[in-house]
Amino acid sequence: MLPMRPELLKGHLDTLLLAVLEPGPQHGYAIIESLRSGSDGALDLPTGTVYPALHRLERAGLIASDWQTVGGRRRRAYHLTPAGQAALGEQRAVWDQFSTAVTALLGRRTWPATA
Amino acid sequence: MARHRLATNTDTRTEDAVATYLSDVAAELYGPRRRREAILAELRDGLDQATEDNIAAGLSPDRAAAAAISQFGTPQAVADAFAGELATAYARRTIALFIVTGPLVGIWWLLLLQPSPWRTGLIALLAAIPVLPLLIIAIATAGGTFATTGRLMRWLPETGPRRALAATTAIATICIIGDLTVITMFMASDVPTRPLAVIAIAASLTRIACSITTVRHATRMRSRSR
Repeated sequence: MLPMRPELLKGHLDTLLLAVLEPGPQHGYAIIESLRSGSDGALDLPTGTVYPALHRLERAGLIASDWQTVGGRRRRAYHLTPAGQAALGEQRAVWDQFSTAVTALLGRRTWPATA
Repeated sequence: MARHRLATNTDTRTEDAVATYLSDVAAELYGPRRRREAILAELRDGLDQATEDNIAAGLSPDRAAAAAISQFGTPQAVADAFAGELATAYARRTIALFIVTGPLVGIWWLLLLQPSPWRTGLIALLAAIPVLPLLIIAIATAGGTFATTGRLMRWLPETGPRRALAATTAIATICIIGDLTVITMFMASDVPTRPLAVIAIAASLTRIACSITTVRHATRMRSRSR
């Protein structure tokens, strides 16, 4: 599968990060790996773009984080807040509508000829 | 024994490579110290985890660390990615400080310059303290920026890092103008110097110094954030 350009994800990264965190808390690198593995490698984003996006989501109150010590290392684990859960539900509904509309158009192999 | 020493040397080299990388990232990060430390600790954990995963996938420790570093991006690219968040964090922290310390400066001038008798209305108050409209503009700018860079940005248009820094610069500049104005007004007046005046002038001079530093920092960070 071809990796997607990061700019194609503009506007969708927030929702994808919320979706990755839906099953439970994860640390930053695990979130990046989940994005990669959950998309069969299509979403192979530069790591540097994902951490700041997580910080922005935390600032917006959609996710929260806790520092833990794991194996002697300081680790920051992120989890969804109730507001994040609600935002994810809304974005899923928007995406369903959008993707249905786009698929309906792009799915047409041939366009009718105009007279 | 020799094998153990070899493993230790490899671990040290791996550690050195990660430490050098993080040191290069740290040199490019500008913003509140605690935020920078938290970012570096988080990157450190991510790099260690990536290195461990690469070793588990069959790479040698040296190559595993190099691959992890390459995956994270160049120090400049990582620092650039964080520049916006650090700028916003700096703006929010600085604006919060202005909001909290504002009354600590203003109360002395209010006590010193209040019209007599006290309840003579808004016009008399404005005549005695003409910088009040400036303060209202600063408070509105501070409140608006603080709200649209925090939780309220879920409902309100988000203020980007550059605009947040511009607002911080504007608030600091208003404070400088306001403080210089009241100090000049007091010096030009025939009000006798009292301990209250010394406290008010000292508070304003302190805020002027802090505001100048803020303008310098905000301008430098603004040139770095997109």
